[in-house]
Amino acid sequence: MSYQAALSDVSYCYDGSFQGFLCCIFESFSKKEIPSAVLPPSEGQTSLFSQREIETRPELARRVAAGLNRLGTAVRERITTGFLADEPGKELVLLRFARLCFERGPSAARMLGDADVAAAFALERSVNNESCKYIEFLRFEQRGTMLGTIIHPRHSILPLLRGHFCSRLPDEDFMIFDATHGVALLRRSGRVCYMQMKQYTPAPDPAEEDWQALWKRFFHALTIEERRNPACQQNHAPKRYWQDMCEMQPDPLPDA
Amino acid sequence: MDLAQKLEILADSAKYDVACTSSGVERAGKHGSLGSCRAAGICHAFTPDGRCVSLLKVLYSNACCYDCSYCVNRRTNDIPRATFTPRELAELTIGFYRRNYIEGLFLSSAVLGSPDATMEKMIEALRILRQEYRFNGYIHAKAIPGADPQLVERLGLLADRLSVNIELPSEASLQRLAPDKQRAGILRPMGQIAQRTAQSRRELAVYRHAPAFAPAGQSTQMIIGATPETDLHILRLTEGLYKKYALKRVFFSAYLPVVPDPRLPATTTKPPLLREHRLYQADWLLRFYQFSAEEILNEEQPDFDPYLDPKCNWALRHPEYFPVEVNTATKAQLLRVPGIGPKSVQRILSARRQQHLGLEELKRIGVVLKRARYFITCNGRAPVRGTRAEVAAALLDPNAFGVGMHQLSLDEFVPTALPGAAPAVHQLADAGMDARQAANLVRQEALTCLTKRL
Repeated sequence: MSYQAALSDVSYCYDGSFQGFLCCIFESFSKKEIPSAVLPPSEGQTSLFSQREIETRPELARRVAAGLNRLGTAVRERITTGFLADEPGKELVLLRFARLCFERGPSAARMLGDADVAAAFALERSVNNESCKYIEFLRFEQRGTMLGTIIHPRHSILPLLRGHFCSRLPDEDFMIFDATHGVALLRRSGRVCYMQMKQYTPAPDPAEEDWQALWKRFFHALTIEERRNPACQQNHAPKRYWQDMCEMQPDPLPDA
Repeated sequence: MDLAQKLEILADSAKYDVACTSSGVERAGKHGSLGSCRAAGICHAFTPDGRCVSLLKVLYSNACCYDCSYCVNRRTNDIPRATFTPRELAELTIGFYRRNYIEGLFLSSAVLGSPDATMEKMIEALRILRQEYRFNGYIHAKAIPGADPQLVERLGLLADRLSVNIELPSEASLQRLAPDKQRAGILRPMGQIAQRTAQSRRELAVYRHAPAFAPAGQSTQMIIGATPETDLHILRLTEGLYKKYALKRVFFSAYLPVVPDPRLPATTTKPPLLREHRLYQADWLLRFYQFSAEEILNEEQPDFDPYLDPKCNWALRHPEYFPVEVNTATKAQLLRVPGIGPKSVQRILSARRQQHLGLEELKRIGVVLKRARYFITCNGRAPVRGTRAEVAAALLDPNAFGVGMHQLSLDEFVPTALPGAAPAVHQLADAGMDARQAANLVRQEALTCLTKRL
């Protein structure tokens, strides 16, 4: 570590928001210390070490955000994208990365040989990879005048899907429901909002099932049996995405 | 015949076409139309054979008047025939596209009467899709060899990518197996497309609303293993195509015997998937690693080694080139190290401006060191010192000895050689040996050979 900061055994508790996290960076900066952990409210905040409650103050968050902006897009995006990850300990990784960047400047983002930078990069890559997979694999269903879908991502990737689907379907209304985190991305008449939602269970729709059957038939017709290689298929489309892909569902048993 | 049946027949007929990429053009969506394009391409599904489904890959019609012996759709084959109407095709494309099943349309066709008549119909289908349905997604269209240049021109203004199949790697093979097609008839539209795409690119640089002619360029494909050409011949041809016609991609398709014919390999022949894989590896070396065909193969060794990938093979033949110092080597030098690809090179180059790279740093960067560690030095020191047997074991390509489990019934599994395994493994397994044992045996033998070579 090249910057001036003592490794302290205090852990920060913040409210789980991005603004709150930026305030943690501010706290670490002003106290010249690196905390032993940064804990969102969801992680049972009991530890052997002393804890400090970090208050979320928008004016401080704005100052840190402006600082991150000055460090350029690579640094800023690594932190904003990495923060979408749903992984314990992401805050500390990103905080250490941010401290290093403030010390070394924008080029620190490219120091992949450094442990802190590599960890932040891995976090960013994991989120980006998952959002790319969902851009490929999510399947819309026509529900009335809207398109709707349910996905089960590990990370909170909805903000990363937004740009792609708004550009792709410029005149459509659609909703993407993230069942893992209970959030939905809703686009209606050109406006986008995020909503808290418990569940979304659309009624079965025969016209939609016909489209899915048509797609499945096409999918099966494309397979070349002599080249069958399920391991290769799973490499490209890991099994955890299959629940959201209609062609991967087993055919319903014919009525007896 | 209902639409689902038609779709099944025409998709089944199109499945042997390899090119199914949606890359090469970046286009944002705009109000009033549907769709956008991503330059990197997007795969939307993967079939159980591990190939990606990116586009709605169908034939406009499979009622062919030609009789090419390698093709399922030839006139003399007894299969169900179907033809789309332009509206059906457009509605299918839009319906699938909105549901995020596909990235766009891949339209090819059997020859319906004459090449010109076929092209007219395909153009009409694409025109309806683009102009009436305002479809802004990706379209890949096959130009039919022998069609009028003016029709190719019209097709190119509607499609993002064009392709003309070169079908077989040499003129002699083409004459023998596809008597209705002429090599000149294939190369002429290719030349026209190359020249027109370049012209359109110049026009677009001057005036951004100039009509774009096939902005994602052109590609081609050929069948491997139906005819006796060597790998060197195929690779030289590929390199020539990239240079002369500025192709974006050359695709290879392992020949699957579909009919008994004295001019073709026996119907029991397995598709040469490992050979196809090696050709793709070499194709990558040509496009991204600054290799030339002559470096990868030569007259003494005109075919690929089944057990070693082409880059490893080159490295073993050129020991004078190694080791490479990661902290000072040029980009071209790093690209030649087995196991290091363009992404790793890019990361090494930008990371080493900030810090010295040792083995630990390389691991953190994400460089795969299994093979590379025997060919590099970090700060002048070799990371490991392996015995010849260890080096050989690291270099052998595990794909060549792949064995998977095949499920016979609910709780009964037998090991079987994967389709991409080396021919020797398949031969032993077919002769009745346990697949795992066969793979081990072949691997031991390859290992001994390679150890001696080192």
